[in-house]
Amino acid sequence: MLDKKFIGKKYPPLDYHICREKIREYAKSIGDMNPLYHDDEAAKASKYGCIIAPPLFAVVYTGPLAYQVLLDKELKVNIMMVVHGEMDFEFGAVVRDGDVVTSDCEISDIYQKKDNEFIVAKVESKNQNGEMVSRGLSTFVVRGG
Amino acid sequence: MSIENVKAGDKMPDAENKVGKYTPIYYAGSSGDFNPIHIDPDFGKMVGLGGNILQGLCTMAYVMKSCTDWAGDPGALKRLKVRFAKPVYPLDTVVVHGEVKATGDDGSVVCDLSATTKNGSVQVITNAEAEFRKV
Repeated sequence: MLDKKFIGKKYPPLDYHICREKIREYAKSIGDMNPLYHDDEAAKASKYGCIIAPPLFAVVYTGPLAYQVLLDKELKVNIMMVVHGEMDFEFGAVVRDGDVVTSDCEISDIYQKKDNEFIVAKVESKNQNGEMVSRGLSTFVVRGG
Repeated sequence: MSIENVKAGDKMPDAENKVGKYTPIYYAGSSGDFNPIHIDPDFGKMVGLGGNILQGLCTMAYVMKSCTDWAGDPGALKRLKVRFAKPVYPLDTVVVHGEVKATGDDGSVVCDLSATTKNGSVQVITNAEAEFRKV
């Protein structure tokens, strides 16, 4: 049984260096061949002036933080029974090749519905200029027996 | 394409995304999500999923792609929220559907979205909504 006392628990911030090669790899894996994510020349000629990341690349620069919550020994989450229930992302400034993104994570809610328990993790990410690039609320379901 | 003149009720074009046998592995490599339920069919069976399932965030990325293609600019996407309703399996084809719900005087657009597999019979993503800003 997850303890509600962990609501508000914060984790150390995570820095991530955005690189066009990883953007290409991610975009290819989701089948998105938008030239802004792949083509140096097309991206340079665009309003962005360089390769940019798809909005949902946020899962790459915040991923380790979400896992940190699920693997947190204090919480004692049964990782075998976890599925991702909901995901809610806000996107701010576009993420560019060469940016450094810093993300903060905190547990924003813990609750129970019928046989399932829910953990909500909030992650906020900023670039090196202090601009918000994304805010994510991940709802994980710990499936009951 | 520009979404400047869309109105409530306009539909996004349906988009098909074919999930290959190894898609969860490529996605694991690019995103860091190596949870065995996604890459190990035996593990998926053991925890009652019937086999390995695609990472939910990969299916969400298909929904994102429909949004950014439709808007013509990734910077236009202001918010995307989804519920992962049912699992997606390797060799499924995920079809993303979207429809304009509302528009604002500031050029903002809100759309309802969903995603299905098995020729529309399984709802894999429900309660999905995207907000767009004017760019």
